[in-house]
Amino acid sequence: MSQPIISVKDLHIWYNDFHAIKGISIDYLPNTINAIIGPSGCGKSTFVRTLNRIHEEVPGARAQGSIMYMGKNILSSEVDPVDLRRQIGMVFQKPNPFPSMSIFENTVIGLKLQGEKNKSKLMEVAETCLKKAALWDEVKDKLNKPGTSLSGGQQQRLCIARSLAVNPPVLLMDEPTSALDPIATGKIEELMTELKKEYTVIIVTHNMQQAARIADYTSFFILGELIEHGLSSDIFTNPKQKTTEDYITGRFG
Amino acid sequence: MENVVNHSSNTKPTPSSSPSGGPKGGFFSLKNQDKLHLTAIKSLAVFVIGLLITLLILLLKQAWPAVTEFGVEFITSDWWNPVEDQFGGLSFIVGTVLTSIIAIIIAAPVSIGVALLMTEVLPERAGKTIGLFVEMIAAIPSIVFGLWGLFYLAPFVRETLTPIIKSTLGFIPFFNGPSFGIGVLTASLILAIMIIPTITSLCREVFRSVPTLQREAALGLGSTRWEMIRLAVIKPSFSGIMGGIVLGLGRALGETMAVAMVIGNQPEIPKSIFSSAATMASVIANEYAEADSDLHVSALCLVGILLFGVTLIANAIARLIVWNYNRKQQG
Ligand SMILES: Nc1ncnc2c1ncn2[C@@H]1O[C@H](COP(=O)(O)OP(=O)(O)O)[C@@H](O)[C@H]1O
Ligand SMILES: [Mg+2]
Repeated sequence: MSQPIISVKDLHIWYNDFHAIKGISIDYLPNTINAIIGPSGCGKSTFVRTLNRIHEEVPGARAQGSIMYMGKNILSSEVDPVDLRRQIGMVFQKPNPFPSMSIFENTVIGLKLQGEKNKSKLMEVAETCLKKAALWDEVKDKLNKPGTSLSGGQQQRLCIARSLAVNPPVLLMDEPTSALDPIATGKIEELMTELKKEYTVIIVTHNMQQAARIADYTSFFILGELIEHGLSSDIFTNPKQKTTEDYITGRFG
Repeated sequence: MENVVNHSSNTKPTPSSSPSGGPKGGFFSLKNQDKLHLTAIKSLAVFVIGLLITLLILLLKQAWPAVTEFGVEFITSDWWNPVEDQFGGLSFIVGTVLTSIIAIIIAAPVSIGVALLMTEVLPERAGKTIGLFVEMIAAIPSIVFGLWGLFYLAPFVRETLTPIIKSTLGFIPFFNGPSFGIGVLTASLILAIMIIPTITSLCREVFRSVPTLQREAALGLGSTRWEMIRLAVIKPSFSGIMGGIVLGLGRALGETMAVAMVIGNQPEIPKSIFSSAATMASVIANEYAEADSDLHVSALCLVGILLFGVTLIANAIARLIVWNYNRKQQG
């Protein structure tokens, strides 16, 4: 088996005095889809947000432990969070395209931030990424319209395209389909299985069917602790822990 | 941008397409209540508009002798001589517009910067504390600003600021000339200090209303803090910032006491930023009490009407800028 791309060891996270994540260790293999499931408030968002250090934006949040990525503990002060976030992208629960930017500008803004100015290069990346996000056909005739003029599902795919444009090896997704209808959800699930050829995806979902459908590995959290982690096929058909079984069969939560 | 057939989503009907089915009939039915509110709001609106028109008509009646006597010359001539009953208001228009524009040029960047500092850089509590001080500045009466300007700002302008400006921008005639500490620059500085709280408070509200999600979107793409502020905070706030600037500009255009105390009250078009001058508001305040001739009173009323007009034009220009910006955004 290949080396893990991200290796989390004994991660603890606090919001001031509140201990939200209590010593979690997980290895993530490259080119896999990894789901995190668990009842709401168990720390799923807190956990993924720490993987690209966006948790630092919350006053009072701090993390301890190690998250090894490319041979470095990303929690250490020598890692620049700005660099890190270009490597580990994030798609949020609610679609959040920039309202003052067009579809095209939204897609390439990450590249522009890195200094890319060449118009034809930007156009090329926009097309590639919008195609990868399965949005190209729907927007190719209105690239100059505001990103917010799209429907919710399209906006979320635009946000995925925007993340892909900086070509991050790892993509974090925090309940990316929870605000979407089933058809839009289906499109994004399809897209993810496509993406794992090139990227490693870590996705938080409250939808267990979704985890079972798309994820290679699934982790189950309760109250900031990792109850079980393994192949999705094992977790959903043959869980080792009683709590996991109760949760996935709906006797819990 | 709408009306695009979209196969991927929108399986649910939009709420606006289904008419609300509230209880029908009865005087206090929802429908009648709506009507009542609408009538009340409409009559209030008519009242406010009526008040404005009445005010203007009365003022215009007072100003009429000056209008018939001087006509258009009133705004093209800067010859203001009460002794000879000759009145042209150009110098006041220039004085008002010039001091207000300089004040905005100084106050807008400072205010935007302070507002960003409060919302984006400092921890919440420190930001709130600064906000409190800013609001306290807003509560200082303008006469107090005038006194302070006369005793502290004027000497500072004369002894410190003037040499600096002359040695850097002095090659431009407008930034060179005798400086006594009282004049356009001092008035503009006072105005800037007075409108900074207004613009700052408005910008702070606008920046605060930017969702955290937008900030995280920018940071999540690997932007630095400053890039995030530019992308996610300033860019979508353009119309709000303009709104704050217009509010500040309105205050600057109409400010009377503080300006009257430090501008020198010279009814002449200023030759340099250090010259004495007068504004529309300051000349009214200074002269109306001792205006002997009816024509003088009438001319002052006409200046008042012009001030109103200038304020309206400033508002219209700002709206045009916002409208033009929004149109460009829509592509
Ligand atoms: N900004 C915050 N400040 C304080 N506590 C927080 C904050 N965000 C989340 N929490 C707490 O941390 C726990 C985990 O939250 P979260 O990670 O959002 O859970 P999930 O995503 O699994 O629903 C919850 O108990 C929540 O109340
Ligand atoms: Mg969550």
